[in-house]
Amino acid sequence: MPVELTGERVGSMGKKGNGKMFFRCKNCGGNVVYSPERHGMYCPFCESGESGERAEGQSGALTVCPNCGGEVPVQEHTSAAQCPYCDSYLIFNERVEGSYRPKMLIPFQLGKESCKRSIRDKFRSCLFAPTDFLSEARLNDMEGIYVPYWFYDYDTDCTFEGEGTKVRSWRSGNVEYTETSVYAVRRNMAISFEKIPVDASLQMPDEVMDLIAPFQYAQLTDFDPKYMSGFHGEKYNMTSDLVENRARGLMKEDAGKLLRESYAGYAGVKTVNENIRVKESRAEYGLLPVWKYLYRYKDQDYPFYVNGQTGKIVGTAPFSKTKFMVYVGTLWGCMTVLLALLQVLLGLL
Amino acid sequence: MDKDIKREAGRQYLRYFRFWFIAIGILILAVAVLGMLKRNAGSVPRTNSEAPAERVYDYADVLDDGEEEELRRYIAKAEEKLQIDIVLVTINQSVEGEEAMSKYGLRSRSWEQNMQDIADDFWDDNQFGYNRGFEGDGVLLMHNWYPGQNGEHLSTSGSVEREFSLGDIDSVLYAVDDYYDTDPCRAYKAYVDEVGRLMDSSLELPFSWGTVFILPVIIAAIYAVSGSSQNKARNTVAVNAYVAGGKPEIHDKTDELIRKNVVTRRIETSSSQSKGSRSSGGGGHHRSSSGASHGGGSHRH
Repeated sequence: MPVELTGERVGSMGKKGNGKMFFRCKNCGGNVVYSPERHGMYCPFCESGESGERAEGQSGALTVCPNCGGEVPVQEHTSAAQCPYCDSYLIFNERVEGSYRPKMLIPFQLGKESCKRSIRDKFRSCLFAPTDFLSEARLNDMEGIYVPYWFYDYDTDCTFEGEGTKVRSWRSGNVEYTETSVYAVRRNMAISFEKIPVDASLQMPDEVMDLIAPFQYAQLTDFDPKYMSGFHGEKYNMTSDLVENRARGLMKEDAGKLLRESYAGYAGVKTVNENIRVKESRAEYGLLPVWKYLYRYKDQDYPFYVNGQTGKIVGTAPFSKTKFMVYVGTLWGCMTVLLALLQVLLGLL
Repeated sequence: MDKDIKREAGRQYLRYFRFWFIAIGILILAVAVLGMLKRNAGSVPRTNSEAPAERVYDYADVLDDGEEEELRRYIAKAEEKLQIDIVLVTINQSVEGEEAMSKYGLRSRSWEQNMQDIADDFWDDNQFGYNRGFEGDGVLLMHNWYPGQNGEHLSTSGSVEREFSLGDIDSVLYAVDDYYDTDPCRAYKAYVDEVGRLMDSSLELPFSWGTVFILPVIIAAIYAVSGSSQNKARNTVAVNAYVAGGKPEIHDKTDELIRKNVVTRRIETSSSQSKGSRSSGGGGHHRSSSGASHGGGSHRH
């Protein structure tokens, strides 16, 4: 459960712990944000591009907005947040620097409007979702979050030994022949895995983060805090050793599949020995973009996650029983009346 | 906020079902207009004045006077509605064998043939028919009560001949069969009713009312299921997504034959073919002795 940071807790962050930055427009003083559509910094107030300059706010507690002095809700792992009063996006220095400095990130490629369109397109066919589920007002609450990830590299040596069976049948006259051949199957391959991603956030469900993948690593870039302006963010909640077992699990699963692919073609294969040995491993820290839409219906939360790069959506639309009954009932009624009228009309003709 | 959502829900609902509501409105209008036109079309007056007014000929004397009168009224009412002549004849005479042939001048020994001839001739001789005296629209039931030769023949003419299939003729005769031995008057009323049911063209329904009620239930169920289903997100990460270069570096790929064995099996073959044949019945159309076209069929008990 994430802990909300109070004023007292800020003190525990250390002397250099209260630094915040935000990007101010040189032209109008507004908060400059990173625009996925423009692939650059953009001032939504004066609409000028690349006019942002980094402004530092050292004074006051971590939870105090350097722009307006308002109280900003900051949780234990928050590295970027929006001031609820002046709407400025703040980035917390000590959570993106030092050991928390990400090595890389994929900047958001999908803006809020594109994301809303994707969600509407995907769930438009869900007839029995509540009326306001796809409304502009609800979708506007969507937040872009930079989710902390550990990326694991593994150099592996994979071996397999087993017995493979091939069966061949043919017919000659009234006799059917079945030939069974048994082979000794041996495989040895070196597989280098690069950047197996495992999320390091407690509030992001692991299974959802697995489903939201893949991300296209071609757009990975060196970390720069400017990419976080306009979005929320977290520092890693867990160190790499705590989540590595998930990466190892994914690596072993993929290595096993690749081994099996290499001896496909046998009718059946009996495993004698399979070994996946890790020769070398590395872990790096980075951020990946995810949009989150939280819809609340009948005291239940329905979270939706959208890959901020590819637009892949994970989430299940809520179901309105009332709408279901009304729509199905109306369709049934209309069909019955229509058929009855058609029956009478054709009878009269 | 809640009010806005409710208003929006109403708008969505109307937008979604607008074509259904418009289609229903148009159909209601069409049914009303056609119904009125049909009602105003009125009935066609009887044009055949040659035929006698009598419709109940109880030569077998199986009905009392009250029943005969009741049937006359019953038939008159049906005739007005259906615009066909409906005639009932009961006889009590042998129509089968050599003796009947010579006694009544019949052309056949067969009960069916003679019943058909007598019924057709009775119709033709009396020049029955709602619209004209020759091949006019109508139907005649002849019931023979002679012991050992009890049975009915239904003779159809004009529009009834065109309309009635053999199945329809059977249906009328079965309606009579149900009651003739317990209540002849009720049996003959059933004859009138069945002819009326089969000839009533005021509302020929293209499909059954069962279809009207069951089909929408099936469609609504399909709609409910398809509308409730969602495409869940699936794992789309390729097996080599995180593999450097997209594929492993293979150092050893050996497939060495250890052993081989062959099993043989003799296949038993057999062939048999069967051919079936189906026969289909003919129609009930024929010509009477006067040359008029009739349809019909008989039931002998």
